[in-house]
Amino acid sequence: MKSPALIAIAIGAALAAGQASAHHSYAMFDAAQNKQLAGTVQDFKWTNPHSYIEVLVTDDKGQTQKWGVECGSPAQLVRAGWRSSTLNPGDHVVVTVHPLRSGEFGGAFVSVQTPDGKVLKGS
Amino acid sequence: MSRLPIALGAAAAACAFMGAPLAQAQQAQAEVPQLGALAPENLAKKRPKAAFDLTGTWFVDTKKASFKFGPAYPKFLPEAQKEYDAGVKATAEHRAYKDYIGQCYPAGMPMIMTRVWPIAMVQLPTVIYMVSGFENAFRAIYLDGRPHTDPDLVVRSFNGESIGHWEGDTLVVDTNAFTPEHHTIDVGIPISDQFHMVERLRLLDKGQSLEIAYTMTDPRMWEGEWKSLHYWRRVDDQDITEVECLPDLDQHLPATQSKLNVR
Repeated sequence: MKSPALIAIAIGAALAAGQASAHHSYAMFDAAQNKQLAGTVQDFKWTNPHSYIEVLVTDDKGQTQKWGVECGSPAQLVRAGWRSSTLNPGDHVVVTVHPLRSGEFGGAFVSVQTPDGKVLKGS
Repeated sequence: MSRLPIALGAAAAACAFMGAPLAQAQQAQAEVPQLGALAPENLAKKRPKAAFDLTGTWFVDTKKASFKFGPAYPKFLPEAQKEYDAGVKATAEHRAYKDYIGQCYPAGMPMIMTRVWPIAMVQLPTVIYMVSGFENAFRAIYLDGRPHTDPDLVVRSFNGESIGHWEGDTLVVDTNAFTPEHHTIDVGIPISDQFHMVERLRLLDKGQSLEIAYTMTDPRMWEGEWKSLHYWRRVDDQDITEVECLPDLDQHLPATQSKLNVR
């Protein structure tokens, strides 16, 4: 269900945050890769067990894709300085993710640069 | 004064009124129903003092032991071996194998205990209630001397039916009556309806650490006993919250929707 490296990352983050979001396997994310997504927030959901961000990203060919980015629980995010109002639809952000290994438009959250230039991590 | 005789008397009177033979009414009186764990009469009964009180919020201590229950694994029988091998292969390919929890099925025992979320535990003389922060999964460990429910009556569940008793400084908990469908351990290791576990709980470090030694058997899935040792630490600065796994939330999570899931 989980690769050893990703288990270590997930558990390490959990211990740091005091609460994890081990709702599902992380085997499909490439923890060795950080991919930056510059785009516009379409949706930000503040909920358990996972918060998520949906970002519209326009690629080199002018095609716009919707990326799904899953974060940890709100409890984790609060400890990292987030609030439910941190992101809003229409915000221009740069989100860093560990992308899906399949090439699908999704990733596990690493950090975000908010419109005011602030960088927030996930735990 | 106990309310039980009054209730039984009323039941007997009702049977007599309906024309039932007196013998049936007497039989009904003989079958004293189990008092609920929260019944004042049950709570007030004299019992040996509990060796410890688990009341508090606990968090699995992955510095001391993994959240997984193996390795070491027992010798699997063919059905479990096939699933275990498929899980190992999928993991090597960075795929999620039969990740039922990700698809919103309950984690079930034993995985719910180590799911890396806080667990609230409330101990009374008759019962220990455990509610996991992960999807608010619920366990009751009965301490009031009741036996396991008749197998022909019990309603099987993901967390099973737990009966505990004290052996010195150790709480020994016997759990059975599991539902095996969509219920696995670690990566896809299946259980059958014969799955059974014994947990031996001890408090360490002046009550700040909880140790549970698991012994799990399933004669349809593996040979002998599968043993695993785990720890939790008190987290007095945390509470559990409402957590639901919702299908429409899952639709927004790339991990659960990815084609890298082996379902």
